[in-house]
Amino acid sequence: MVKRAKGRQESGVVIKKLEELGQGMIREIDARKTPSFQTPLRSKGNVHYDEKLGCLHLGEKNETRSFVNVGQARKFMQTVAIANKCKKFLKEDAHTSIRGLFYQLKFSLGENLDEELFSEQSESNPLIEDLEVSLDVKREDLNLNTDRKGVVAGPLILRDKFGGEETRIDCRKQGRSGWMVPSDVDNGMEIEDLDADYVLVVEKDAMWQRLNEDKFWKKENCILITPKGQASRGCRRLISKLAAKKLPVIVFTDCDAWGWYIYWTIKTGSMNLAYLANDIATPSAKFVGVTMRDIKDYEFLGQMTIKAKEVDLKRAEEMMNYEWIARHPEWVEELKVVLKTKKKLEQDALQGPSLSFVGKYLKEKMEAKKFLP
Amino acid sequence: MADKTDKIFTNFKEHSVAEFFKKNKQMLGFAGKVRSLTTIVHEYVTNSIDACEEGGILPEITVRIAEISKNERYTVAIQDNGPGIPKKHLGKALGQMLAGTKFHRYAQQRGQQGIGAAGCTMFAQITTGKPVKVVSEYRDKRLMCKVGVDIKTNSPDITDEIEEENPQKAHGLFIEGEFGECKYERSAQSPSEYIKRIALANPHVTISLTEPSGETTTYTRSSEIVPAKPKEVLPHPLGLGVSDIVEMAHRDAKSRSISKFLQSGFQRVSSARVDELKGLLDGRTEGLAPIDFEKKPPEMTWGEGEALIKAFAMVKWIAPAADCIRPIGAEQIQASLANILAPEFIAVTERPPKIYKGGIPFLVEAAIAWGGQAGRRSSTNEIGSDIIRYANAAPLLFDTSGCSITQAVKDVDWKRYKMKNFEEEAISVFVNVASVHVPYTSAGKQALSQEEEVYQEIKNAVMEAARRLQLHLSGINKERDQELRRSAILRYVQQLSKDVVDLAGKGKADEVNAKLQNLIETKYKSHIMGEDA
Repeated sequence: MVKRAKGRQESGVVIKKLEELGQGMIREIDARKTPSFQTPLRSKGNVHYDEKLGCLHLGEKNETRSFVNVGQARKFMQTVAIANKCKKFLKEDAHTSIRGLFYQLKFSLGENLDEELFSEQSESNPLIEDLEVSLDVKREDLNLNTDRKGVVAGPLILRDKFGGEETRIDCRKQGRSGWMVPSDVDNGMEIEDLDADYVLVVEKDAMWQRLNEDKFWKKENCILITPKGQASRGCRRLISKLAAKKLPVIVFTDCDAWGWYIYWTIKTGSMNLAYLANDIATPSAKFVGVTMRDIKDYEFLGQMTIKAKEVDLKRAEEMMNYEWIARHPEWVEELKVVLKTKKKLEQDALQGPSLSFVGKYLKEKMEAKKFLP
Repeated sequence: MADKTDKIFTNFKEHSVAEFFKKNKQMLGFAGKVRSLTTIVHEYVTNSIDACEEGGILPEITVRIAEISKNERYTVAIQDNGPGIPKKHLGKALGQMLAGTKFHRYAQQRGQQGIGAAGCTMFAQITTGKPVKVVSEYRDKRLMCKVGVDIKTNSPDITDEIEEENPQKAHGLFIEGEFGECKYERSAQSPSEYIKRIALANPHVTISLTEPSGETTTYTRSSEIVPAKPKEVLPHPLGLGVSDIVEMAHRDAKSRSISKFLQSGFQRVSSARVDELKGLLDGRTEGLAPIDFEKKPPEMTWGEGEALIKAFAMVKWIAPAADCIRPIGAEQIQASLANILAPEFIAVTERPPKIYKGGIPFLVEAAIAWGGQAGRRSSTNEIGSDIIRYANAAPLLFDTSGCSITQAVKDVDWKRYKMKNFEEEAISVFVNVASVHVPYTSAGKQALSQEEEVYQEIKNAVMEAARRLQLHLSGINKERDQELRRSAILRYVQQLSKDVVDLAGKGKADEVNAKLQNLIETKYKSHIMGEDA
């Protein structure tokens, strides 16, 4: 496995990396060679599961991007433009979103050229990832923010140094809205106090509001997080940081393709961000539900199933082929049931008997340690 | 020059065939209103070119067609700068069928039947009742007259004769006739197309056409060389049809017997071969009528002529002499195509003579012109391929689909030569089949028959030219590809140079820019200039 930098990198270090990238290219140009840079291959074939660490990582396969190549010239130029822009942001200590970066670089290439440096954000996004993986830095290290997503409530106190001020954030005192997870939880963000027994991640915001209203986190002494669907980088990083504080992480999602995908992304990292998995995966995470087996224990759930969609079934089949999932017989069995019955279950179904039944369900399952790995 | 031109007229012989041709005018090409007009132009123009060449003169010809009544009656006038015709031969040349030079001399010439100009006179007479007006400037005389044909006796009818002095010794022939049952249109078979094709195959000719609309098109010569005169040769037995041999026999008043006629009138006919023919034609060979070889040639019947032709095919002959074949010449074709079609690319093939029917020599010249004005433009200005057919440099405009040349060109697998859709390409395929005995399909002489050897040779010649076109096209494609690659990358050089220098925090954008440009130019080097792209 390629060793990758962990955690936050100082802006000076990142600027140096960027300058070295440019200087390497100048050396090549001076030697009458095409400017180029190396980047680990990010395709499926170069994504592996690390059994020891329990997360995905990129393999050793590299590819060379060069400028004097018809297929790569435009992207190469764009990548260098992004690198140069990020260097400026770092020097000025300014931050922007990836959309902001796109607009900074959306300009015409010249009067005679009917072409813009970037015309769509979909062009710049993957090139940012190229730079991250090539330089072994994170987006946040380049002063690029991702969208904030994810809400936290529970016994967690943070110190946020921002804009020359320091703010104490007590996640027990965030009322009905909770504390919103920023895109960067490393930079100027410290955990001051953490007095919880475990972390509960619930897929849906609606479910988080239900549990918050029920004071579930207070009764259970847990940290209640919702990524609001697929977890953002910041949210995953926070979960990973909490897990590093020896807290068990329990994930609660729908019993369908999307829910499982959210779980496995939190646990092992995603294929797309495999190069970051080291930082943002939480291999110790466990899955509490909803599962197909719950129907045996909670008879009413039998009537709550809905028809699985094509995409759910397809995803279920795919997951059975991922080595990091296939090694868990419990998951294989669960997936087989889905494929056989072509049904799925949503976590909201647990509000069937009563609105607060979901709390009872979670407690029961956790006490009985009825988890999927 | 005087000696040369005088010699032309020593061969005139008389024969009465006008009646026959009046009944069979389609044999002369007077079939259909459009075709008749083209045939008239063809006969006059080829006569003029042949006359100029025999006189060693670079031909300058003007043709004018005017409409008298729509789609029916036209005047055709032609003026050349040839030697003119002396008074004593004028009537025979223009008012007597089969009196011309060509029928008696088996040199390879454009006019293919020798009934040409007189045939036109006859056609004018049949359709309008009017004789043709002629002005002949020959040496120191200028003769103006009207010429008609007495169809019953096949003799010229000359009227309104005026003879003047010609102190400047201007030379040339002017003919103007009025013709009915004609129609002028600008089609692929019209006089305008004919003149263009004549110009294409005869680069030493300057020719202009004034159409009924008043529009004049002039094709200026691209070569200053008058082609060498074709060698005169006797006909070879394998090159004849029944009518040819019967006509020849009937014209032979000198030979005492058919045996002598065969030996003196043909090449490669020895007494041994005549004995062989006698053996075949003694009445004992099935399907062959017996022939009396001792009777006088003019007594030969049609049936005897048929039997002789059949017997000719059964005898093994020495091949005809090949040195009488007169190609147009690759250089001339090249110059002419460049001059008239201004194409982007020309390929001309030069191939040695071949033989067909076991011994008749022929030679195929093929050329491809691509791009520019090559190809055909439809009335809606859509571009299409054009097959330009010639036999002995005379354009073949009719019977297109039944012609071996058309067939051979269409049978080429053009996709192999980068022609995606041959029918829609701006391409002219030029084919000339030169031979003393061109294998025509019929007396109309507008299409070549499916002689396997001729067909194959045409196809091979065209494919040879097509291969060169393909090389040219793939060169162009490579060049365009390289150019596309170059410009696809070059457009990003400026931005990259700025950014990479900023990013590195060192270097100069201008220098980096120049180096990158250089790098790209070297990598995507021009295919044509590069050593091995």
